Amino acid sequence: MDRRGFLKFAAGGTVGLVASPIIWNTLYDAVYWTQNWGWIPRLKKGESEYIPTVSKLCPSGTGFVVRTVAGTPVRTIGDKNNPVTHGAMTALAAAEAELRVSPARLKTPLRRSPDGAYVAITWTEAETLLKQKLQEAGSSVAAVSGDPTSSINEVLTSILNQRGSSDFYFMPDEEQPAAVAWEAMGGQGRLGYDMENSDCILAVGAPVLESWGVVAANRSAFNRTHPVAGEPTQKLLYAGALQNNTAAGADLWLPMKPGTDMALLLGVAHLLIKAGKQGFAAGLANFASFAAAYTPEKVSGITGVPVARLEAAAKALAEAKKPLVIAGSALGAGGSAGPVMVAVAINMLLGSVNREGGLVDMPFPVSVVAHATEYRETMRKRFVNYTQAVAAGKTKAPALLLVYAANPLYSLPADSGMKETLSKAGYSIAVASFMSETCEACDLVLPAALGMEAFDDVQTPYGSGRVTYALARPVAKPFAGARSAGELFIALAQELDLELGVKDMPELLYKHAYALGAPFRAMMDEGRVFTAKTALPASPLFYNWEAIRSAASARGAEGDIQVAPVVVLGMGTAQTAIPPFATKVVTDYQLKGKYSVAQMNSATAAKLKVNAGDHIRLVAGNNVEITVVAAIFEGILPDTVSLVAGLGHTAFDQFSKGKGSNVLALTSVCREPGTGLPVWGLAGVKAARA
Amino acid sequence: MSSEVKQFKIRWGMVIDIDKCTGCGACMVACQAENNVAPAVDGSNKLRSLNWLTVFRLSNHKPFPDHEVAYLPRPCMQCGKPSCVAVCPVIATDKREEGGIVSQIPPRCIGCRYCMASCPYHARYFNWYDPKWPGDLAQALTPDVSTRMRGVVEKCSFCHHRFMKAQEAAVAAGRDPMDLPDGAYITACTEACPNGAITFGDLNNPAHKVHELIKSPYAFRLLERLGTDPQVYYISKREWVRREGDNYLEHEKTGEATKQG
Repeated sequence: MDRRGFLKFAAGGTVGLVASPIIWNTLYDAVYWTQNWGWIPRLKKGESEYIPTVSKLCPSGTGFVVRTVAGTPVRTIGDKNNPVTHGAMTALAAAEAELRVSPARLKTPLRRSPDGAYVAITWTEAETLLKQKLQEAGSSVAAVSGDPTSSINEVLTSILNQRGSSDFYFMPDEEQPAAVAWEAMGGQGRLGYDMENSDCILAVGAPVLESWGVVAANRSAFNRTHPVAGEPTQKLLYAGALQNNTAAGADLWLPMKPGTDMALLLGVAHLLIKAGKQGFAAGLANFASFAAAYTPEKVSGITGVPVARLEAAAKALAEAKKPLVIAGSALGAGGSAGPVMVAVAINMLLGSVNREGGLVDMPFPVSVVAHATEYRETMRKRFVNYTQAVAAGKTKAPALLLVYAANPLYSLPADSGMKETLSKAGYSIAVASFMSETCEACDLVLPAALGMEAFDDVQTPYGSGRVTYALARPVAKPFAGARSAGELFIALAQELDLELGVKDMPELLYKHAYALGAPFRAMMDEGRVFTAKTALPASPLFYNWEAIRSAASARGAEGDIQVAPVVVLGMGTAQTAIPPFATKVVTDYQLKGKYSVAQMNSATAAKLKVNAGDHIRLVAGNNVEITVVAAIFEGILPDTVSLVAGLGHTAFDQFSKGKGSNVLALTSVCREPGTGLPVWGLAGVKAARA
Repeated sequence: MSSEVKQFKIRWGMVIDIDKCTGCGACMVACQAENNVAPAVDGSNKLRSLNWLTVFRLSNHKPFPDHEVAYLPRPCMQCGKPSCVAVCPVIATDKREEGGIVSQIPPRCIGCRYCMASCPYHARYFNWYDPKWPGDLAQALTPDVSTRMRGVVEKCSFCHHRFMKAQEAAVAAGRDPMDLPDGAYITACTEACPNGAITFGDLNNPAHKVHELIKSPYAFRLLERLGTDPQVYYISKREWVRREGDNYLEHEKTGEATKQG
């Protein structure tokens, strides 16, 4: 080929190539295949259904509509027709469809083998083992439940009672101290709060917009009373050590040192009595004279709340038509009864008991299962008293310990005796949905279906002002090998020839609905939720000033620095840990790398000689030491550091494990004077730069 | 930036009442779940995690006890004059469709990230790594929004698929798909907010709540003096919060620059 021929060939080839689709198809393919890799998940197509039900993972029983695609839940959306939560969601409930398939979800029954490792077993083997262990244990059985709103507890108590054991407990919660307080003040029913109809709420220690009570309902009420760009019809006053989420929505923040709730409330009571608010009941004079010692100046000295804000709070309550005072704990468990007693007393002074927008004396949930223990009786029992007694050898360790929907090994202080009880128990069984710390310590782990996978219910949660009843309906098949815990326990009772009076979960739920006069069929078919304003005849309340005086004698926190714990539902609960879809809600002022972040104001930082980002060592009174990272935030009291709860998990999955420290490790169990309640001792710590 | 700005009959917009937001994060979770944004193992690292909607904590910068706190959810502002559109070399992002939502087409994106540099709101995120749904998490993907791939930019779309669904429903019902009633189309974050802090609707339509809300003397937009004309408005009765929305000199007052696009 000559030169001219070569050039012709090259030119012809180039023109031909450009004119052909080869280059363009190759480019298209390159674009397509480099951006649509096989390992990027493809979307599942199918018919969408929207089925209303309620959350069993969110403590407030949030009502949501589960969107399923070809039978698989993909979204949870607030249910606007739910008369309790009115479509309001929590970060936890919003993440529930993804939690259902999270890596921490238990897929199959697991039995601990002699070498300590877990072995997957079948449900038949698991049920045989469960039955055998229960039979071997005789009456030496103990059980704890972390879901006080479920009827499944009745089945468990019935089984235990018929086996001759009375050791059934609820995990410590917000209601237990409140029930003690309400009873001490003469309350005969169950303490409820009509928050949505109040025009001025003082929440002391209780983060009502984040974790206290029926939080989705609280937020829904906040929404309705605070129109967009309009004038609020409800005032919210919040007392707490930190400007947390509740403080962000509050009209007035009272910066209160952790553990000084009693003094603050007594100071408010004193100001209200002075302002003429003296709702009469027996003991008023004695209470008034006791509260008189709590002058604004003294209270300010104890609590750190500026006098002007204390007076502003009392004035707002005095001027309100339907004021309501609520006391609670930041952690949601391990709180004292004393502050609730004073809160009840203030509501009595204001005439805010058994009237719209005030405290409500409500009926307790009733049991419908044969031989079951009544809710109220279980509420009176203290799990930590039991575990500490077992740990100390004062009570015989159970031959069988059953842990249902709870993670006590994580959510109780280290000296609660839980670890010892688990190791002393002859055999331990966890019925749970996620691989928690407690599951990892048990001999047998049984995977439980979630609320959206099985029949369950939500009976009036604590914090409500109305009797409510909602059904959790199975909207999807249980994930992998999970099974309905309720059906499991009912089948167990039947195997053991025990009498329950119900043959399955639907019948149990029907009996509950019938007892309440609730429309079971509409609840079952349409997901309707029952509510009723059922107030009991007024209880003979009195100002139990002696009980208040005893509780007020509790010692304050020790240590140079006080720890203010913060609970946020974005961190999940002890049972769920951090939901995979909520890790981005965790902020850089809560977690940094593998360290918890301690927020403190600049005065505290200067005192400790630390800057933002420095590592500091916190040493608690129980000698537990944790290392945290400092962050500067001015919305917190001096000499106080804030740590978020829900970190420091050693189990679950990569979304929770090995992140930060568990704030509960810094607390110790102590007893409240007068009531003897086990309370989580205030975490006073020594702090130094690491 | 192009001097010609397309005018729309419908302008979808959001009004966020900062005084009602308490920073719970339900909107962020709902956004991720709705739009198939992959979960992050450590989401607290905001430089690495990818959020179409992020809630920022604001401070009035005063010392204790006069300190105040507020929370500001930040979606894409769907600017009337979007700086990202002007710089995209491959028209992977555009503002053309009726409704005024700034589109983002991940398969067309070449990952140059000019749009990220030009966005004053940091509303755009780059997929540095393959998105991962460990274990069985991919089972919970919604069928509405394609998953994205490594090497492309993504951002909030005002849940555009919901707009399309609402239009389809309107057509099926014999109604005008270009005149949707208030509430017929809302974003996942609006739906999830338990405090009702987010209101969504057509800013141009007098029948929609947002039309009135943006005229509030307390309404403002972020960095509005840059001239991007955002379709996301904020409301706060607190002067210090409004000042956080832009860079003000000491003698300047807020509210003067708030004029509808």
